[in-house]
Amino acid sequence: MEGVLKAYKVFQYLKVIGVWVSGISVLVMMFFISYDVFVRNVFSGSIRGGFEIVQNYLMPLVVFPSLAYVYSSGVLPKMDLIMDKLGARMKKGLIFMMLLIELFILALIVQFSWEFAMNGLERKTAFPAAGTMYPLYPLFFMIPIAFAMIFIENIFILIRNLKEEKASLLVIDKSGELEGF
Amino acid sequence: EDTDKAYGESETIKLRAATGLSTQHAWWANSMVPWMERVEELTDGQVVFESFTGGELVSVPDEADAVLDGTVDVALVLPIYEPDQYPMAEVTMLPLSHSDTFIASNAWKKLLESDVELADGKTYSEMQFSGFKVFPVSTTQEYSISTTGKEFITANDIKGTSLRTPSRIHEVYAGEAGINSVTMPAVEMYDALSRGTFDGSFYSIADWSGYGFQDLFKYTITGVNFGHFNAFIGMSKEKWESLPEHVQQAMTQANEEIFTPGAQEWVDRSEKAITANKEIGGQFVDFSTLNADVQEHFHKGMEGTWKNYAELLESNGLPGDKLVVLWRDILIEEGGEVPESIMNLE
Amino acid sequence: MDSLLVIAIIIVMLIMLLVSGLYIHSVLLASGIIGLILLEGFGILPGLIGKEPFNRVASYTLTTIPLFVLMAQFILQSGLVQDIFYMVHKVSKGKNSLLGVLTLFIGGMLGAVSGSGTATSASLGQVAIPELRRHGYSAPLAGAIAAAGGSLSGIIPPSIILILYGVATETPVGKLFIGAFIPGILTMVVFIFVMLVLFQMERKKRSIAAVNPVSMQMESSINPYQDKNDIETAATVSEHKQETISALRLVTVSIIGVLIMAVIFGGIYSGLFTPTEAGAVGSLVGLIAALILGKVNVQFFKSSLTETVKLTGMVMIIMIGAQIFGKFVSLSLLPRKLIVMLEPIMDSPALVLIAISVVLFIMFMFVEGAAVILMSIPVLLPIITELQVDILWFGVFVAVICTIGLLTPPVGLSVYAVAGVSGIGSGPIFKVGMIFAIVAMIIVCGLMIVFPQLATWLPNSMS
Ligand code: NA
Ligand code: NA
Repeated sequence: MEGVLKAYKVFQYLKVIGVWVSGISVLVMMFFISYDVFVRNVFSGSIRGGFEIVQNYLMPLVVFPSLAYVYSSGVLPKMDLIMDKLGARMKKGLIFMMLLIELFILALIVQFSWEFAMNGLERKTAFPAAGTMYPLYPLFFMIPIAFAMIFIENIFILIRNLKEEKASLLVIDKSGELEGF
Repeated sequence: EDTDKAYGESETIKLRAATGLSTQHAWWANSMVPWMERVEELTDGQVVFESFTGGELVSVPDEADAVLDGTVDVALVLPIYEPDQYPMAEVTMLPLSHSDTFIASNAWKKLLESDVELADGKTYSEMQFSGFKVFPVSTTQEYSISTTGKEFITANDIKGTSLRTPSRIHEVYAGEAGINSVTMPAVEMYDALSRGTFDGSFYSIADWSGYGFQDLFKYTITGVNFGHFNAFIGMSKEKWESLPEHVQQAMTQANEEIFTPGAQEWVDRSEKAITANKEIGGQFVDFSTLNADVQEHFHKGMEGTWKNYAELLESNGLPGDKLVVLWRDILIEEGGEVPESIMNLE
Repeated sequence: MDSLLVIAIIIVMLIMLLVSGLYIHSVLLASGIIGLILLEGFGILPGLIGKEPFNRVASYTLTTIPLFVLMAQFILQSGLVQDIFYMVHKVSKGKNSLLGVLTLFIGGMLGAVSGSGTATSASLGQVAIPELRRHGYSAPLAGAIAAAGGSLSGIIPPSIILILYGVATETPVGKLFIGAFIPGILTMVVFIFVMLVLFQMERKKRSIAAVNPVSMQMESSINPYQDKNDIETAATVSEHKQETISALRLVTVSIIGVLIMAVIFGGIYSGLFTPTEAGAVGSLVGLIAALILGKVNVQFFKSSLTETVKLTGMVMIIMIGAQIFGKFVSLSLLPRKLIVMLEPIMDSPALVLIAISVVLFIMFMFVEGAAVILMSIPVLLPIITELQVDILWFGVFVAVICTIGLLTPPVGLSVYAVAGVSGIGSGPIFKVGMIFAIVAMIIVCGLMIVFPQLATWLPNSMS
């Protein structure tokens, strides 16, 4: 378990970098839109292509880089009706079943979003803004990467549950430990 | 379902049809639906369509991809929304000095069916829509400029006006004419316009009712034309070839039959919108009555836009010069007009 | 496979996965993907699944989600709302019920600047729950109040649901907004009454529990999320001396609070910016407020940005799940099948409307609101037109049901948002939230059916 935890620590760093990318993108988005509003009202101009840049670049940058961190932060909702009422063995069985379902759908999403990204690369997908074309396909690759990281997270959870006595859907049960970056 | 398999002569053929547009959009309600109904009729119910609208299955502008990857069998394709994939589709958005829905619709159909070789021995359709079986439908009515009150008395009034630009060509035109282009989803426009966030939009009058603009615009310039949006009913070549011949014939016949009534609908809708707009005090100003310097300013922007668009295509290795000349010639044949300097393009 | 059979299998699977505690987004993804495979085989997946995550996220309108959460974070981290809650507590002289009223009222005010019930619920949850808890509200009730207050953004204009409805039915969005105004306020008033009654009931239960320790123990074993110190807190809160806040600070805080509201409302209604852009401007104003209050440092950015990113990610991943599940629902033709069942009662419009409301209510229980609008309107619109029901009225009506659907299990995004930020379990919040939902459903929808003018009078008299 020691080695696994060490590997997980490295993985944590990657996730935290993702949070920073997303967090800075939110700030950029705030300043960008506010500046656009300011310029429009004061100089009755507007950032050329601002709308498309926010939509196609900033929104995905806000959401996808940090998705793996969000997943492991314990913030994602679930219905907690019966889990705590089950015995330890039942609980573990249920968690294994859920992990397998998660891994199955995550694998499908990674595969198809990867195909989508490769297809975009091939066709050089781009979007028009203010009369010019901006490349869009590089951002498509964030999707398979984000979901692949969630897949890896689930592998860690699987290993943890195989090695440890107590069943859990988190690798490190106290999500508080993740906050220290 | 296996798309590659050819259908039997009398086997029921169920086709999945889709659009990201709403059920009430003129292209869906008055072109695609009548087409589907006519095909069902002509094949005595052998062909059955199951339709998905309003983006419930496929959203704008993903219809083309959905047809090609087999998610749906047939869809209303709006190629102008994907200038990266179909850069030559925007040609119908080039500004003109005169045309109407029928002129532009017929010209669009002719362009799609044209056998003029533009490059490498390929026609327009072969270059842009080689994966599709294309059934042309009408273009929209011409785009006008409408504002919530701002009027163009002198050329200076044009500069700095903020207008929403619905396509790349309009953005180029706005740049040429010194107009500030604002991009925003059509759904947010009503709210933003009614609060004076910007001045107006390039829009086709026939399309106003979709967003309630007949209650909002106060000043519209008519008699000049900022292009026509185009569309077609698209099916993948593969799917098309899997259909029995009599079904193919029915589809082609149905397409011929719905084409003109589909165009007429835009005219009817436009008349209704104009009546409603006049009731709330909306003004319609004919371009020829504007000050000479205003007219000249708009015309100059037009020439620049044609040249700019052709250059843009050429710089991407596409036959831009040949395309704009072909479009101009077809359009003139159908009764359209362009400014003098564009007539001189070779 | 036969689509009715697939629908049955997927509904059973969905319920089982939900109950067993799989993440809600995974439940939607799994049911959607497996449903698609059963209906059409693997061949349908690449076209529908590959691009959906990107398409869902790359939306300008959805910038409201991170930006309104960011605004709330900045305001929260600056201590502004805590101070306001403290002031109200003082003014109310220990009448703790007023805090609940205030939370719902602030929810309504935030609703007038936010288009998304989910984002507002998350923000409200963060600010209000700790204060409500400190003033004697149980965890589930505090959570439900925040969720209900936040859900009001779905109906009080601007509203993303109304925008989507306007687009789908080609009804002017501005008119829809005006029409939704009275029903929105009405929903808020109903929520306030429900909250007052629930709070009184809780208080009574408490005083009984204090006398009878056995029943108290039972209650806390039924509800593991309830803080065991609740009762103590409730009893001592009136004497509880909080740190005294200087009069100067209170004046500053009040001025800043009023200014923030003025900038956002004034900006939207004067046309300086659109409701969507208000998220960005609001955040910037929140940041400036925090600067003035001297609260900005590295930790300030670290916590506000981390929280914003977490909440945004949570909402977006559920929306992606709902989107893919929605594709399955749409391909299975489930909405149309439900509608066909209505045919026999077409000659009595009131019955049809009630039936439609029930169907929509159920759909909003399971599916994210925007997805429901997108898939049901094409089917419902012809029926509505045939019944000669006012399309504008119906849009407002649907938005009310959708707002209420944010509070109902199994898919109640407002409740999940609140659960996510507060650490209170979604199960207990749903139990209380359902009461808000059902009462509002009966009263607001009932009144709207009896007096359609509630929605049509304002737009008709204004234009
Ligand atoms: Na709202
Ligand atoms: Na719900």
